[in-house]
Amino acid sequence: MLKEKIDSLLDRVQKPARYMGGEMNAALKDPKSVAIRYAFAFPDVYEVGMSHLGSRILYDIINKHEDALCERVFMPWVDMADLMRKENVPLFTLETRSPVRGFDMLGITLQYEMSYTNILEILDLSGIPLHSEDRTWDDPIVIAGGPCAFNPEPLHHFIDAFSIGDGEISTLETIEVLKQCKAEGVSRQECLRRLSRLRGVYVPSLYEATYHEDGTLKTFEPIEEGVPRTVVKNMIADLDTAEYPESVIVPFMEIVHDRINIEVLRGCTRGCRFCQAGMIYRPVRERSMQRILELAGKLVDGTGYEEITLSSLSTGDYSCLPQLAHELMERFAEKRVSLSLPSLRLDSDLKKTLEETQKVRKSSLTYAMEAGTQRLRDVINKGITEENLTSSVSDAFASGWSSVKLYFMFGLPTETYEDLDGIADLANKVVRKYFETPKHIRAKGLRVNCSASCFVPKAFTPFQWEAQDTIEQFEEKQKHLCRIMHIKGVEFNWHEPQVSFLEAVFARGDRKTADALEAAWKLGCRFDGWTDQFKFDKWMEAFEQTGVDPKFYANRRREKDELLPWSFIDAGVTQSFLWRERERAVSGQPTPDCRKGCQGCGLKRFEGACEGR
Amino acid sequence: MRMLLQFKKGDIVRHLGLLDLQRTMQRALRRSGLPVAYSKGFNPHIVMSFASALSSGIPGDAELLDVSLCGEVTEEQCLSAMNRVLPPALCASRVRLVDDHFPKVSASLRTAQYRITLKGGETKRIAERLSAFLAEEEIMALRKTKKNETMVNIRPMIHELTAEYDSQTDTAIMIARVSFIEQATLKPDLLLDALCAYAGVQLPKYEIRRTHLLGEVNGQSIPLIDM
Repeated sequence: MLKEKIDSLLDRVQKPARYMGGEMNAALKDPKSVAIRYAFAFPDVYEVGMSHLGSRILYDIINKHEDALCERVFMPWVDMADLMRKENVPLFTLETRSPVRGFDMLGITLQYEMSYTNILEILDLSGIPLHSEDRTWDDPIVIAGGPCAFNPEPLHHFIDAFSIGDGEISTLETIEVLKQCKAEGVSRQECLRRLSRLRGVYVPSLYEATYHEDGTLKTFEPIEEGVPRTVVKNMIADLDTAEYPESVIVPFMEIVHDRINIEVLRGCTRGCRFCQAGMIYRPVRERSMQRILELAGKLVDGTGYEEITLSSLSTGDYSCLPQLAHELMERFAEKRVSLSLPSLRLDSDLKKTLEETQKVRKSSLTYAMEAGTQRLRDVINKGITEENLTSSVSDAFASGWSSVKLYFMFGLPTETYEDLDGIADLANKVVRKYFETPKHIRAKGLRVNCSASCFVPKAFTPFQWEAQDTIEQFEEKQKHLCRIMHIKGVEFNWHEPQVSFLEAVFARGDRKTADALEAAWKLGCRFDGWTDQFKFDKWMEAFEQTGVDPKFYANRRREKDELLPWSFIDAGVTQSFLWRERERAVSGQPTPDCRKGCQGCGLKRFEGACEGR
Repeated sequence: MRMLLQFKKGDIVRHLGLLDLQRTMQRALRRSGLPVAYSKGFNPHIVMSFASALSSGIPGDAELLDVSLCGEVTEEQCLSAMNRVLPPALCASRVRLVDDHFPKVSASLRTAQYRITLKGGETKRIAERLSAFLAEEEIMALRKTKKNETMVNIRPMIHELTAEYDSQTDTAIMIARVSFIEQATLKPDLLLDALCAYAGVQLPKYEIRRTHLLGEVNGQSIPLIDM
């Protein structure tokens, strides 16, 4: 009767299509035909979660497994969540509208620290005990992966096992272990023990942390024999042989990224010092052009999408991008499929390609400058110069673009007000380039969208030891920026420092922060990444209640020899490399792209990791 | 050539709005490999239109989509191609090919038939009062549009209205065939409101399903796809 009950709720909520299921290409496997039923949860609403490529890859991989099935779960929006509580409807999967608690495994993807309260909400709505130790075989094994799993400690109490690194192979390994355990009838504890022996799997309940009086970590050790001291991340060596979906679900409702998404490469070699993704997804691995074209053909035929996007951390670095873009446009012109290239780096040789894409549509161009002056860009190792920007926008304006986005961060290590002034300076120069373009050539309606976000130091980056600016410092800087960013043709946006402050707490939080997280959720925090739902005062109340000082995590500079809560993870890049990069940052020394010479980041320790370089 | 595609909007997808359904059909047509015609212009899209937009929340048994084609195919090919690419909840039941001069299906639409299930509450009373309601010559009801609210006589827009009451389940199944032409479209909710007002009762729980879209030839109602 659950299905009918759910149905009756759908008449009473906004956007019922979020909970509907039944989309084209959704997997419908018979639950009786498999040993392991896997519920895959994305801790945000449908239209956000369905836009996430990694989830789609894993969904496809699990459903290809003959002895497993995967169904999707998303975080119900607040109206639906409240209604479900009121009507006693447990959280359900979209494919078969089955209760999540009845699945064998619940996988949760960790994309963003501010979705952590939603994870607690998902567990609670499912009727699964919040704490790992309170669960029994009546509950699924709760496993989490994704970039935030590189500092798993703030979630240690709620997650049974973390899967760290590339999930393509690891996910199937965990399924195999669980299947075996269920077949043998071993205890849940034994199952977790076996999972902990898999590469890349971290089972927090098998480790113990002790602390110094000042609150810093003293020791971090496994509590029993056979549990690895260091958890080594998983890595897929070759993208061509890795599974990739050849057919994907086509949602009924419009989602955030509503198009075919093909990952052309993984990892990034540029070494921007603030960028966690650039560190933890190393090494760079490219998918072959042949495989990409093959995937594109199948996905176009199987979805009916009218747009393809090539995604990665830095698509401009794909070695044969112009050739690939050309080939894709050629092949699909007749089917009226257009190509969009996100996160373009302006120093890539893309002029020709751009000229071809504009045949389809002139969307806005994005430049991630990150910092306003060359000095600060050297500190963060963002290898883009003012000349790169101005010459690129000149070309773009001359070829008919009139909309430009500029991304910056503020609060970066060593930043001064001169660096902030540099942001306005760059915006001014872009505007000037537009007006220098002859009137009869340039398109009408210049729009420079300039946004500045608050810097959040992340684990496994050279800035992992740095203090974040305090909220007060951010607000001062923001006021200054607002003053100087009154430029005709420029729209200036900024992000709330309160959210970034919390993000910084959990990005480098230890086990103690888990209590604050739980308290915040109990005080009603959820959807913290959504401005209209964010309740900063409740968060502060939660820290107060639990005696956790958020500034200790966000605004404190760590010493070199401090034991960091995530240092038991081998993320590929070594701590000594990160420290070396930190030292170079402080002295303003850039580090070249590792394709121009190995920088000794640590990846070479892994066989086949940096092949061909 | 044009393809008239009769399809179902199944229960689980009844919450789809017109835009979602349009997008879904566009993509399904692209997947189908059928020789669909595209509009000219900067953002080309498939030339197609629904006979009638079905509100979000209401399922339909025999909805109709009118698609322009630019190549030769058979009805069988169209039907199997579409059912290969449509999700099960939107499966196609019939295809008819017509030539380009064939009048637009939306222009031939005269009436729509609904199946309305009432349950509990005052359902019995409503079923009992139905024949008296139909005996009225004038039934005034407040019709709200985006622009204004007007009192209109809805009686001429009711072509058929029956109810079968089952006392065991306290359920009444009503069949209502109502006008569906410009200026004189009667929405089933409005009909229900008027009926309840007439019977002097609160509206019980109900479900609406659109079962037929109908045209008219010599005073006879026939399915729109057969016009």
